[in-house]
Formats: sequence, structure tokens, C-alpha cells
Amino acid sequence: MSNLLELHNISKSFGALTALRNLSFHIGEGEVVGLLGDNGAGKSTTVNLISGIHKPTDGYLSVDGRKTLFTCRSDSADAGIETIYQHTALVDSLSITRNIFMGRELTDRFGFLRQAEMREIAMEVLQNAVHISGIDSPDTLVGNLSGGQKQAVAIARAVYFKKRVLLLDEPTSALSVRETEALLNQVLKLKAENVSSVLVTHNIYHAYQVCDRFVIMSHGTKVFDVAKADTTINQLTDYVVLT
Amino acid sequence: MPGRFLPPKKIECQTVTPILADSAAPRSRTQRQSILKQIMGMPAGAIFLVFMALQIVCIAGALLYPNEFRYLSPQNLTILMKAVPVLGCLALGAGVLMIAGEFDLSIGSVYTFTAVLMASLVGAGVSAFVAAPLGILAGVLIGLLNGQITIRFGLPSFIVTLGGLLFWRGAVLLYNGAVQVRFDPEPVFTSLFSGTLLGINAAFIWIVLFVVGFHFLLHRHRFGNHVFATGGNRGAAEAIGINTNRVKLIAFAIAGGMAAVAGILATARVGSVQPGQGAGLELQAIAACVIGGLSLRGGRGSIIGIFLGVLLIHTITDVLLLLRAPGFYLDMFIATLIVLAAIFNHLIERRGVA
Repeated sequence: MSNLLELHNISKSFGALTALRNLSFHIGEGEVVGLLGDNGAGKSTTVNLISGIHKPTDGYLSVDGRKTLFTCRSDSADAGIETIYQHTALVDSLSITRNIFMGRELTDRFGFLRQAEMREIAMEVLQNAVHISGIDSPDTLVGNLSGGQKQAVAIARAVYFKKRVLLLDEPTSALSVRETEALLNQVLKLKAENVSSVLVTHNIYHAYQVCDRFVIMSHGTKVFDVAKADTTINQLTDYVVLT
Repeated sequence: MPGRFLPPKKIECQTVTPILADSAAPRSRTQRQSILKQIMGMPAGAIFLVFMALQIVCIAGALLYPNEFRYLSPQNLTILMKAVPVLGCLALGAGVLMIAGEFDLSIGSVYTFTAVLMASLVGAGVSAFVAAPLGILAGVLIGLLNGQITIRFGLPSFIVTLGGLLFWRGAVLLYNGAVQVRFDPEPVFTSLFSGTLLGINAAFIWIVLFVVGFHFLLHRHRFGNHVFATGGNRGAAEAIGINTNRVKLIAFAIAGGMAAVAGILATARVGSVQPGQGAGLELQAIAACVIGGLSLRGGRGSIIGIFLGVLLIHTITDVLLLLRAPGFYLDMFIATLIVLAAIFNHLIERRGVA
């Protein structure tokens, strides 16, 4: 069986700086992977590479076993990969509905928005797909939401557009304890619907709560790749801190 | 008499309705808010309240002192209707661009340049119905040039269009010299842009049509959503696959094109072009946008707000003229209004409510 997404011996250099060296790992269907590592380990470069912002200097990506090259963001979006960055995902001055449909608006033949329809879908997605406390209307401006609510909206967007992999870049760093809990539950709920997630974080405890497998990076390459059943939180901590 | 029993019945009805309203009120938070708060919460709600308050005061003043304060006289209303469209067109174009996160300081000069171009073409025997679209085309091309330079070199549009302001002002003098250009189009053209329909000035009908059109383009069309996204959070817009450079380029083109339209309306009204007539108009247009609730950082605002901003500037100017205030009061008043509006908008933005 082929994996949903595979990285094969990927290297990435920026001039003289080598950010990634010979990095290989995979993400299976409906799997939650924790991509761990200290600052400067190459996590962000990896995220940018998977989402199509960077191109590998060497090596390649494959989706469903087929070798692919992402040259821009929309390539990875077409392959079903949604990256949720912490700050850049949403427009504060627009409503939740407009954010969910941003760039993918439902319109008539002349490009005019089908507002009632979009509003209804947004309402449904907010109520059913993601449970966000404290949002009473899809017309609320995103700028009025808390950090966790914003992320929930970004996830709702990915869910509605039937993404297969969510790349969550430092998803919990700006969230309250309760919001973190809600977010991690969301990841598990999506997993039950066969949506894979990659949690890119240096909070091992959050990752340990929900991840099936851990990939630990250090100095631009993978140093450890282990299923949750075969490891402990202490071992993971040692790998992140000591390598 | 049966008629005598009617008043008590009426009172009965009136006593029933408030009870209904009271019992329904606690169900939702929005219903409990006063109408005033609801209006304040709408885009351009605050400016709408200010505008209505000013209108009420003016109309009351005009009714109380019909001879001293001729606000409601037909002559005054005609002057107002003739004055609004030119600044209105400039402000609509500048506003769309501002929401997309860029400025255009050159629209005042472009307005003059395209008007001179059109008038001199008509003077050379070209039909006004050909010359006017050519003028608009010139405006669009200048807008695109501003946009290309801004985007290609990653410069602040403030600087690029400051260059544009001086360049096209100079170009008017180079092309035409410092003399006025007469504009003698076909009578049909004149009546189409400065005649009257049902007592309403044609230019005013045009600006209302433009406001409606821009409202639909910006608030009901995909393009408008992309404009707000581009100005509101460029990174997010690009991440989702919106071509923000293209959106900005189109917004620049709209600003240039609308400057040319303003030139047509002004020229058709006056029948001539003065080479210096556009100076300062770009700042008034931006002022109208700021008064109307647009954020200088982009991503916020509404077409109705822009239009109300224009109306407010002209109403205040008109009132001060009617009161025979010396000219410098106009500038001081508008200046105060701009700063107050900017402070107010900033407070709203910080609270995260718009």
C-alpha cells in the first residue's frame, strides 16, 4: 500500500546554508504525525516544502506513490494538502463566511457572490464540522475571534474543501489550555474521518496526546521516527533535547 | 357615532405591541441592542449618523430662517448636485485602491491630463463620444503604469504616485501650455453628462449609478472579496491562491479610469479645462475615504462610506459658504473632520469592531 505523502531523500540549500539534508519520511492515510524538533531543526523549511513554497534542491515528494513536484501553493492545495499557519491564514477585516470561501467563492456566471448559500454552508460547517464555542454567527468578523477560534475557522475551511492532509504549524503556541484541548480533539475527530494531520511543534506533550507517530528532526535531518506504542514521552524529550 | 369609538381601539393596539417587543427582546443579543448601536455597528454606520444629524440641523435651520440660510433653495441644491460627482468619482477610484492597500496621489493630475487630452481631441474635430473613451483609456493606462512600477520594484505606492502627480501635472503644461482648453462637444454629449433629468442633474445620476455599480463590484462580487483580502492580509490572500498583484493592478487601473471619468464630468459641466484645476483634489478624495471609514492600512471600508464622506465634505463646504464664512474656514473644518474621523476609525480598529 502506498502512503498518502512521502518525502524521498530531500535536501534543501539556501546558497551556502543547508537547511535540510537527506530527509525522508511519510504520512499515511488517516495518520497523525508529530513533526518535532528544536528551533532551527528545519521544521519550517519542511512545512514550506510540503506546501509548495520551496522547491527541493535534491530528492522528491510523492503523493499516493506518484512522484510530484509542487511549484507553488496551489499545487499542494490541489493535491489535498492544507497548511494552517498561525498568523497568516485569515483576513481579520472579513467575516467568517468570507474567510472560509476566500479565493474559492461560490459565484454565479458573472462572478457575483451567492451570499445566502455561502452563509448557510459556513453556518453548517461551524456547527457540525468544528465545534467552536462562542461563535454565534458566520457574519462575525474574524478579527473579533480568539486565537483558538481563528484556528478553528481555518480548520473548518480545510474540512469543507475536503483536504486530505492538514499541516498545522505551531498550532498550540498561542492558544489557551481549553482551546488547545479543543484543537487536539478536532485533530482526532478529523482522523476518524480519515483526514491526516501533521502537527509541527516543539511542545512534545501536546503532540504525545494525539499523534500516532513521531518524526524528530535535528540539524536539517531526521534523527528518530517511531510509533507511539514503541516510545515514551521521556525518550522523545531526550531525542529532541540531546541530538 | 361609530367613529368616536375608534381612538380607544387604537390605544389598545399600541399597548399590546410594546409587551410583545419586550418579551421577544431577551432571545437574542442583537435585538436587545438599541437601534443606535445597531447602526453604529454597521459599516459606515457612524458616518451615516453624523451625516443625518448634519442634514437635520441644516434642514431645520433652513426651515426656521428661509431667507438667511438658503440651504433648501433649488439653486443651492443644484449647486450641491453639480459639485458632488467630480469628487465622488475620484474618491470611488481612490477608495477601491485604498481598500486593496495602496494609494494613488496622482489622480488629481491624471484628472486634468485626461480632460485636456479629451478637450483638445474634440477641438481637433474628433467626436466627443470617441474622445471621452480615449480619455478613460488614458487614465486606465496611467493607473496600470503606476501599478506596474509599484509592484515590479516593490516600492511604496505613495512615492510612485507622488512622482505621477508631478509628472502628469508637468505633462499637461508640456502638451497644452498654461492656457485653458475650450470644450465644444455635440449637444447630445453635453446633455448626457450635464443636462437634467426630472429636475436632477445628469452628473449626479451618473455618480449614483457609479456608487451602485461599485457597491455591487466590491461587496457582492468575487473581485471585491479579493480586494478586501489583498488589503486586509496579503499573506493570507496569497496563501489561499489569490493573485494579489493582479488585484492591485486592477485597482490601480480603476483609480486611473475613475479620475478620467471625473475629468469628463467636470469638463462637460464647465465647457472648458483649466490646466491647474486638479491640484489638491487627490487629497480631498483620500480625505473623503478616510471620513467614510476606510483604513489607511487597507482591508476596511465600504462604498457607501466613501460616498457619504464625499457628501459630508460638500455639505460642510456648502453650509460654510451659505453662512458666508471666509474661505480658510473650509480648509480648517475639513482638516478637523479628517483628523477626528481618523481617530475614530483607529479606535474602532483597535476594538476589532468595524
